Amino acid sequence: MIEFLEAAIRIATPLMLAALGGILSERAGVFAVGLEGMMLMGAFGGAVGAWATGSALAGLALAIVCGAAIGLVVAIVAVGYRADHMVTGLTANILAAGLTAYLMRVLSGGGRPIAIHLTPLPPWPIPGLAQIPMVGPLLFVHPPLTYLAILGCFALAFFLGRTQAGLTLRAAGESPETVLASGAEPLRVRMLAVTACGGIAGIGGAVLSLQQVGTFTDGMTSGRGYLALASLIVARWNPFAAAIACLAFGAAEAFELRMEEFGLPVSSYIVQMAPYLIALAVLAVLGRASRMPAAIGQPLPWDQ
Amino acid sequence: MTEAVPPDLRTSAPRIASLRLATGEGIALRIVVAVILSLVSSAALVALSGHNPLAAFVALAKGAAGSPHQIGVALNRATPYLLAGSGVAFCFRAGVINIGAEGQIAVGGLGAAAVALHWPHFAPWLVVPASLIGAALFGALWSGIAAAIHLGRRVHEVLVTLLLNFVGLLLVQEALAGPLGQFGAGFLQSPLMPRGAWLWKLPGLDAHIGFIFALVAAAALSVTLWRTPFGFAIRVAGRSRHAAAYAGFSISRLTWAAMLLSGALAGLAGGVEVLGIHHRLIEGFSLGFGFKAVTVALLGAVEPLAVAPAALFVGLLEAGSLSMQRQIGVPSALVVVIEGLTMLFILAATVRRA
Repeated sequence: MIEFLEAAIRIATPLMLAALGGILSERAGVFAVGLEGMMLMGAFGGAVGAWATGSALAGLALAIVCGAAIGLVVAIVAVGYRADHMVTGLTANILAAGLTAYLMRVLSGGGRPIAIHLTPLPPWPIPGLAQIPMVGPLLFVHPPLTYLAILGCFALAFFLGRTQAGLTLRAAGESPETVLASGAEPLRVRMLAVTACGGIAGIGGAVLSLQQVGTFTDGMTSGRGYLALASLIVARWNPFAAAIACLAFGAAEAFELRMEEFGLPVSSYIVQMAPYLIALAVLAVLGRASRMPAAIGQPLPWDQ
Repeated sequence: MTEAVPPDLRTSAPRIASLRLATGEGIALRIVVAVILSLVSSAALVALSGHNPLAAFVALAKGAAGSPHQIGVALNRATPYLLAGSGVAFCFRAGVINIGAEGQIAVGGLGAAAVALHWPHFAPWLVVPASLIGAALFGALWSGIAAAIHLGRRVHEVLVTLLLNFVGLLLVQEALAGPLGQFGAGFLQSPLMPRGAWLWKLPGLDAHIGFIFALVAAAALSVTLWRTPFGFAIRVAGRSRHAAAYAGFSISRLTWAAMLLSGALAGLAGGVEVLGIHHRLIEGFSLGFGFKAVTVALLGAVEPLAVAPAALFVGLLEAGSLSMQRQIGVPSALVVVIEGLTMLFILAATVRRA
């Protein structure tokens, strides 16, 4: 059972980070369909940075830069040029898939992607707390980026709910005119939010390459960005609820991995559908009850 | 005094903002400029990797159109993009952002394979039409599910279609692992279809007849869009939901129609690919096709008939990319970068300022 929950947390970690970034972007009024591409670039940056320098920290830094770069592209096209957010995000995902595949092959100088083998980040047991029976091994023996994801929930909740900048960001997503009236520029707020979203989602991608797999493979995020997007909407743009939604997706996937032990008469493909079907079902049940940020998806007027 | 809201607007799905793409005069020029910009940026990427961009593009062009065989390959590549892309363009015209073509194509391939492999022994000349109809029905079913959730529960169509993509791909894998699969093949594929179910080849080219179907479908969509009352309603709904609702058009019926139509075309794209190229259903046979469909829809200025040259362009790029990789050593993934950049430039260059 502990193993199962541990696996759920492990699988949920990249989703949680991406969802946190996505909340930042969507609360500021920009749909975060580009999460997938931001994660993928982050996973690529993490692997390449750590491979080139031998330092996981440098890998993490490059992951943030790469993710933020995709975020900036989305910000320029969707916020600056006021193109459709959804299609722009989708396009950013295609660009990220192409760029990462291309650069992996350029780095090796040939037709095949370069081989990167990293030692996945080891768990950091928290002294004292890790020794608590049951709870200790479950909550306090995780690799570093998992703690970062959990701390990130608190940080984001504090930022959005208790700081002036967080208030301005939320206003940009609810009523950009108000932001303008208060003397700030909604255009800058939104662009900053989307770029920051890219950086945070990039860390989410780095969880995959640095902490879990130890290398980069083409398209390794395989839809996790879209799951993160679904979970933050299901969670109604609340960081803690998003974390729980991600954990639910993690549990579904962990269940799939252990299904053979349970010996259920269902094929693994059907079980793999579960996260997507759950997401659809929850979205459908919430339906009109889920109130989006009022100005989400709406372009800023041209004079702002 | 309260403003009277037409009933259909109240019950229809929420529109956050319709796709604000400029579609008027000068759009072709802007798209050409966007393509040139993306080619120049990609050339810079090639130069950074230490290769001569000009040599790379020459190799790409030769590989794409150097021989009738190569042109046939490019036509085959372009076919599913044109079928699915013209449907996506039609949806975008209606203001419905259907990005579920990826799943609809895969499920359509499943439909074609299911019919072709289970066809009884009578009337062998009916196998191909029946399989294509099966493909279109399966595709329409898949987009219909999306439309039902979107309209019935007011969930944004982008989310519904995106999530259903994953389910659709898994559904194909499930079918291949079970009833449709070839036992002991080592990976997920169906048995080879009987020869009678293969699409005819075009004379002189290595292309199947699917491209002709696709051209006819795109032309028919274009005529529907511009020359029929239904097409007029679609265009009004795409420009302004309010205007359409006040004019008495039913937004939900228009959304249903656009979704089913584009789903059927995407399904057909999958069916044509299965019957024309692989002659069996293979796991991941259409990976990325749905997103290519969005690419060519934008590249074709969301005008179904103009999607044809756009799809051909992308088909040629892809057909040439492998020989570019072989001869110059520039990774063929560059083509995906070119596609992504082109879309971004087009999106930025064609926003409607209203």
